Amino acid sequence: MDLTVEATKIGEVIEASTGKFTAQCYQLNQAPPLGSLVKVGSMPSEIFAVVYNIENHSLELGRRPIARGESEETEEGIFRANPQLSKLLCTDFNALVLGHRQAGDIAHWLPPKPAYIHNFVYTCSSDEVRDFTQSLHFLSLLVAANLPTPVEEITAACLRYSSQAHDDPHAFLVKAGKELATLLSGDLKRVNSILKKL
Amino acid sequence: MALSAYVILPRGSRQVSLDLAQVAEQIEKMAARLKAEQAERKQKISLAIETLHKQAGQLDHLRQKIQSSRTTWLVAEIPDRLDIHEAPPPCPQDFIVLASDGSHIDVDRHRSARCFLINVGTIKLRYGKHPDAELSSSPSLYFQAEDLVISSPSGNSYEPIEGALLGVKRSVEECHSLADAASELEDSLPTLALLDGSLVLWTLAGKKTYPEYVSQALVDEGFLRYLEEMRKLSLVTQLAIAAYISFPRSTEVTNALRLAICPHDPVDCDRYCRGKDAERQCDSVAGVLDRAIFDQLLSVGERSATFGSRSSIVEQRYGLHRANFFYIKIDDEEIARVEIPLWVAQSGELTGLVHALVWQQCRQGQGYPVALSEAHEKAVVTGADREQFWQLVERDVALKSSAKSRSKRNRWI
Repeated sequence: MDLTVEATKIGEVIEASTGKFTAQCYQLNQAPPLGSLVKVGSMPSEIFAVVYNIENHSLELGRRPIARGESEETEEGIFRANPQLSKLLCTDFNALVLGHRQAGDIAHWLPPKPAYIHNFVYTCSSDEVRDFTQSLHFLSLLVAANLPTPVEEITAACLRYSSQAHDDPHAFLVKAGKELATLLSGDLKRVNSILKKL
Repeated sequence: MALSAYVILPRGSRQVSLDLAQVAEQIEKMAARLKAEQAERKQKISLAIETLHKQAGQLDHLRQKIQSSRTTWLVAEIPDRLDIHEAPPPCPQDFIVLASDGSHIDVDRHRSARCFLINVGTIKLRYGKHPDAELSSSPSLYFQAEDLVISSPSGNSYEPIEGALLGVKRSVEECHSLADAASELEDSLPTLALLDGSLVLWTLAGKKTYPEYVSQALVDEGFLRYLEEMRKLSLVTQLAIAAYISFPRSTEVTNALRLAICPHDPVDCDRYCRGKDAERQCDSVAGVLDRAIFDQLLSVGERSATFGSRSSIVEQRYGLHRANFFYIKIDDEEIARVEIPLWVAQSGELTGLVHALVWQQCRQGQGYPVALSEAHEKAVVTGADREQFWQLVERDVALKSSAKSRSKRNRWI
């Protein structure tokens, strides 16, 4: 999961609440990686969130994709033979809000208003990832979240991803490990489960 | 025996409008009847095929007999050979398939506003090196007084566009969308433009006669105008147009065989066989669907010879766009009828393109052209859409609707 230098527009918010949003990607199978940071809105008010679930599915309710490739040699061949598929299938992802930018400053708490439907969603640039994860306060929202995917998995993925934006990724992970040990002091099992994945 | 949709049950029993238990018994009787007729049907099909093969040496005579015949049923114009079966030519490397399909919400006299809606789905699928797809739908609401009727040139009489006539209007709009999509093509790749159903606007050729100005507006200045636009495009790019009918029930080829069997020449049903109690000779193949004949003659992927439609509306109005048709075997269960205008039928290259691409589309679409099935998906107006549409109309128009209409919406006991 490579970080990008520039923020890239990847989709649009299609459902939003204060703590979470769902975005639809413009390109099939082109969701940002699990655990990566995305943002909606633009300066000076942006919302930052971590990708915690990705779904590839049919755009139309009641139309289930069927297996099509028995006589195709490659998977790309299926899309070449059925060009309509790229317009009938889509990729959505869910993101957990970890903070926002308030008057230019990063705040590691929930924004006053949720994302708007049709807000553009961007991947964060490596500079933005570094700025957002400079302080590890965002971890408190993350580990306290109630998600359909295991929070330990998302936390570890987010830390692995974010570490690449720092000059010393190892030092960043060690610092994050200590922060987790404090946050989850009563739950050694969870701390270990995350640390093993870093 | 007709099935009754309303069943009166004794007081106290569960109230249902359709008693399926009773219907099931009747369905069993129907199935038994159909089974009993199967042997006779098979015999008729064999005879039809035998007759078809026999015509090889006497097609000129049959053609003449068809020309001079006076029948009560529609007879196909026959080609030089009746029993050919052609394999599909190879698909071009890069090609485009366009398709359109529509659905509508009819005028409802119980609603507060008099209007109708036509929703047309249009599809462009590009295959080859740069595969791409464009799927769109375009709803149009007709509400102006002049949109809701077809007026005579003098303005003294008019025909309201609703019911069957709205179906024709929809076909015109489907053809319009297809012509627009064809005119917007940027690449001059071999292209098939597909319509759902028939090229023949049967409603206007049916028993109910419409005034001449209706046919003029819908056929000459509507459907044929858009076909003509596509024909002109086909002069500069390889564009073919076809209409696809799944599971056709037509009998025009069988009817040509009935003429071959008929001992009278010229054939004149009214003169020789009117009120005849004894079985007519041509009854030996009557009722056989064309598709039953070609199901046996064709292998999967193959097409039949190209026949011509001799329907009155086609003969009187279609000219260069005269409907021709061939049958194609899609799989063991499906024989489809593909209708093409005369200018496509006269070009071996364009007919071959239609054959190759219809076959490709059916293979990709589980037995039905994928572009048409996507066009349908874009066009379809569900029952829920319909209800929501009228709610929007009545919310915004805020006029009175009929008590009957309100009672249907607010069901009560």
